[in-house]
Amino acid sequence: MYPSIMRESQFQEHNRFFLNMGPQHPSTHGVLLVVLEMDGEYVLDPQPILGFIHRMHEKMGESRPCQGFMPNTARMDYVCALPYNHGYVSLIEKKAGIEVPKRAEYIRVITSELNRVASHLLWLGAYLLDLGAFTPILYGFDDREHILDILEDITGSRLTYCYYRFGGVTQDIDDKFVDATRVFIKRLRKRFDMYEKLVTKNIIFIKRTENIGIISRDMAIRYGITGPNLRGSGIAYDIRKNEPYSVYPEFDFKVPVGQRGDCLDRYMVRVCEMEQSLRIIEQALDMLPEGPVRSKVPKNIKLAPGDCNFAVEAARGELSYYLVGDGTSVPYRLKIRVPSYSNLSCLPELGEGILLPDLVSIMGSLDLVIPEIDR
Amino acid sequence: METYENFNTHVRNLGGDVTETDFDQRGYHLDVALTVKTVREFAQTAYDHGFYLVFVTGFHVLPETGEEDKTSGLEVVYQFATFDRLCRVKARVSVPEDLTVPSICHIYQGANWHERETRDFYGIRFSDHPNLEPLLLCEEDKDYHPLLKEEKKLKSFEAVSWSAQRPDTADMENETSPDV
Amino acid sequence: MEILSTLPPELIRMVFAVIIIISFIFLNAIMMGYLERKIAGHVQRRPGPMEVGSHGILQLVVDGVKLVGKELLIPVNVDRTLFRLAPILSFTPVILPLLVIPFSEKLQARDLNLGLVFIVSMTSINVMAILVAGWGSNNKYSMFGAMRAVAQSIAYEIPILLSMLAVVLMTNTFSLKEIVGAQQNIWFIVLQPLAFIIYIISGVAETNRAPFDLPEAESELTAGFHTEYSGMGFSLFFLGEYTNMFTVASVATVLFLGGWHGPPLPYGEYLGFVWFFLKVYFLLFFMIMIRWTYPRVRFDQLLNFAWKYLVPFSLANILITAVVVKL
Repeated sequence: MYPSIMRESQFQEHNRFFLNMGPQHPSTHGVLLVVLEMDGEYVLDPQPILGFIHRMHEKMGESRPCQGFMPNTARMDYVCALPYNHGYVSLIEKKAGIEVPKRAEYIRVITSELNRVASHLLWLGAYLLDLGAFTPILYGFDDREHILDILEDITGSRLTYCYYRFGGVTQDIDDKFVDATRVFIKRLRKRFDMYEKLVTKNIIFIKRTENIGIISRDMAIRYGITGPNLRGSGIAYDIRKNEPYSVYPEFDFKVPVGQRGDCLDRYMVRVCEMEQSLRIIEQALDMLPEGPVRSKVPKNIKLAPGDCNFAVEAARGELSYYLVGDGTSVPYRLKIRVPSYSNLSCLPELGEGILLPDLVSIMGSLDLVIPEIDR
Repeated sequence: METYENFNTHVRNLGGDVTETDFDQRGYHLDVALTVKTVREFAQTAYDHGFYLVFVTGFHVLPETGEEDKTSGLEVVYQFATFDRLCRVKARVSVPEDLTVPSICHIYQGANWHERETRDFYGIRFSDHPNLEPLLLCEEDKDYHPLLKEEKKLKSFEAVSWSAQRPDTADMENETSPDV
Repeated sequence: MEILSTLPPELIRMVFAVIIIISFIFLNAIMMGYLERKIAGHVQRRPGPMEVGSHGILQLVVDGVKLVGKELLIPVNVDRTLFRLAPILSFTPVILPLLVIPFSEKLQARDLNLGLVFIVSMTSINVMAILVAGWGSNNKYSMFGAMRAVAQSIAYEIPILLSMLAVVLMTNTFSLKEIVGAQQNIWFIVLQPLAFIIYIISGVAETNRAPFDLPEAESELTAGFHTEYSGMGFSLFFLGEYTNMFTVASVATVLFLGGWHGPPLPYGEYLGFVWFFLKVYFLLFFMIMIRWTYPRVRFDQLLNFAWKYLVPFSLANILITAVVVKL
């Protein structure tokens, strides 16, 4: 981006220095260390260093029966845990041929989308906190509290949900949930105007995010970038539409895309996605069928030999579970492909030769959650 | 898949063995078996056809101890997918005894981290990789590979493939499983 | 008591004034700290401090006691002299500008005929304090913050001076007392609105307040130039920043908002300070509100804004003022 600066400093080696951003830093969302080779205010080469919160979930997946892995799925991405649950239970259901009742599928979609909205609200607040605005995070958390209260009533947890089971969900939703969700949807739609005025039309915010961190289609292919980061660059790839699972084909929603692929576009995509998630929830609540919420499954699910793959759209991108079964109830190999892993791996290329505040802005707009990267 | 006839032809020309699979059963469309020599060309073909890299990982099965096809038991599994019309490709390479596989970093830069992680977990070395250092594990544990299975837990490749015998269904209890 | 009668009355008066001003500075820091936290709280939909005292009034007092009681950590490889010197350097020169500000018709410690120049020169020493703090901390983050602060202060000094010059051109004097006196009929904000806006913006930038608070940018540099300071050192920086804000707001009041002029009060010559403080705290309220509303500008955008927009506008303003005064 600033090629003339970089060429000059080839000859002035003594001006370069290394700066450690993290692992304890207000802007890296989790324990991430980014070693920056700097020349004055310009970052020449940001190298992320991972592994501070590596807990080896894949080994845990191989050493216990498949139902024992459920809590782990929530601990990887704790901000948006329900799609992780969803992917895993859907994978095992596909492998073992378990039918899921319609009502359970609808409940799964409603709760996953609520969780997606909560995740995006937290991201919005945290991103603006990185940019120096101290207020929007508290407004975002205020809205998020409502979602957490709604979900706490039926799942029992506020953050690391373990609500889905093979064959359905644990507990049925009641009228209180439905009414509270409808009230919440109305409230959040009104609040979007406020966010629009406070953040989206804020000239300083626009100047900090426009034309910064442009991701091209070629870069997305080479690194495997998915999710809102990809859609900000104009590519309408959403697993819910391209590779539909659960009952998503029955809902009518749009996939928002940006044009340039800069931080501002990624921000706009996530804000629009929140609105689309609210639409999905409304339609699901209207179409909610009656029936059981859990089908009978055997106590010990034996996974037939062979491999199986299942992809879902988590809040951050494409989440894939790849399972190899060997006939017992313990998976032979469980691979979890996490969206933030691929999203972060493009940082050395994206952050070459930019200013330090821009690097903070780019890292914030990629929406990283480090525990899911490290697994 | 209809629109990927072109891709299938190219891969077959390279020497890869492509089979189309049932998407509803397996979750991916094409299953490609590669050799060490054809990995890079396959990656280039995939890139030219617009596939993005989903993951690169390893897999440990019982090694073959026959005279001609002695293998180390390790495999590298790649997965690619496209943005446009849905097509997921799973490719696997059997790792030879010297545990070295060509790296595809120069075509797919995202593979840089995936390959480092595979080396951490399985000990597979990727040749021509710019910096094959530990990614998730620490420097001191460079030589400890956690996902390698113990002798008694290893199964042969056939035992974990789709063509193997289904398990006996007689001992499955048909009651709702308790809340775990 | 005979000693007191031998000393010149001017000296006694000055000593009194300095004592009152220093105690006022601490009181001001307490009040402003409280205001800031309450306003921040209400802007963010929460009540702010509520526990200590009724509605949290005593919060800052308790905080002060806590900060005094903390261990003064001095990291190993710092330059000890510079490290200890920086907070003192930050706090001391901010007392001096308050000596020349006319709080009321008869309440002014000393009326220098170069009052405005004196104020500007004293506030520039603040930059040196930041640089000393950043360098002496032996910490890359602090050094970063210090370098940014120097560039920022240099950039924004000029619009401040130029907007002040516009007022000086109209009143022909640098003495603050006379400037206030000249605003008897009409406040200068009506005659010089552009200079007022430029002065306020540059003043916010000079005091390193958001949205221009890069030297202490929390999310990028952990805490910028005062990362390594704890306890009393940190609180001296704090005090210096709040007093600086107060000075900027009071100079703005003196130059543009008519100083102590207002509806007549009994004992008007002394009680004029009521109107003065009302105006100053109104400006401070505005400065605090901005902090909690806007994100931070990027560094090169900050300098761009100063050099490409504020300086030309203030120059144009002076030109127009000079032409109008001449006519």
